[in-house]
Amino acid sequence: MRTSAPLRSKSFEVFENGIGPGKWPDSISVGMFMTIHISPWLLRRKWILVAIGLPVLVALWWAFRPEKLWINQKVNEPAPFDTSADPQPILTGRFEGNARHTNGRATIYKKPGGEYLQLSDFTAPSGPDIHVALVHDDAQAKSGLDSLDLGPLKANQSDQNYNLPGGTDLDKYDAVLIYAERPHAVFGLAKLEPF
Amino acid sequence: MVRNFKTAGILAGVVLALGLPLAYAQSSAKTLETGTFHGKVHNTSGRATIYREADGRLILRLTNFKTSNGPDVHVVLIAAKDADDDANFLKNSTERVELGALKGNEGDQNYEIPAGTDLKKFQTISIYCERFNANFGAAPLEKF
Repeated sequence: MRTSAPLRSKSFEVFENGIGPGKWPDSISVGMFMTIHISPWLLRRKWILVAIGLPVLVALWWAFRPEKLWINQKVNEPAPFDTSADPQPILTGRFEGNARHTNGRATIYKKPGGEYLQLSDFTAPSGPDIHVALVHDDAQAKSGLDSLDLGPLKANQSDQNYNLPGGTDLDKYDAVLIYAERPHAVFGLAKLEPF
Repeated sequence: MVRNFKTAGILAGVVLALGLPLAYAQSSAKTLETGTFHGKVHNTSGRATIYREADGRLILRLTNFKTSNGPDVHVVLIAAKDADDDANFLKNSTERVELGALKGNEGDQNYEIPAGTDLKKFQTISIYCERFNANFGAAPLEKF
């Protein structure tokens, strides 16, 4: 009689330590009710929280890089070629199709002697008394206002240069206009943007 | 002694790396195409210009350039006339030529375009966030 009781209690201890059938409900509840059953266990092992949490935080940081919202990365590479001896383009733009088709590019260059306008890749309808002018885009409809006549169009095709008068204030103009004097028609307008 | 040789070697390498391209760069380049950036969501502005160097290499140069900083931002040439802010290159399976990671979100910078790239086909430069597949800004190129 005396010997049988201690034997029974010993066998219970064995079950509670996870070898007997007592193990199964524990392990299932761990899987299904994680927050309820795992948290006391996790709290005893805080390093697991850190081990999972840190990589998650690092991954989130790597994906979004939030610090880049307020950090600017400035570079200033020189041109890989030396163009200092050439005329420097300062403003450029392409002709936008108008009623009569004028195509090509208008570029204002700066060189030691002054500035000049170059029309390149250029075609315009031929006609009498066609002029080239620098204008302010808003004022292009009004004749004479805020415009600078650069002279008659030299050719209706091919590259051509027009010298700008000395002291031209380029801030005043933002477009190149091809227009006919006598019928007073606009052939083409190229809006200039900084090169 | 070993360390001195090492530093001397590194210095010579740096001098060669900087000096040789400069020596070759004396002949000027031809401007092929240019265009300005637009992009409102990520505020992108500036100019993209493609040059052909005397030795035939194609160089993309960004000037007056500014965009927003972001993760994994790249410079790509795309086979399209232009790209909107919400353009999705993956969804539209837009063909791209990778020019490299964006060196900085502000300032002038150069990128080499792989030899044999068809500039008639790839007409637009895009500042492209690879991680979120977002087009920060695009510059449609036109003949200079």
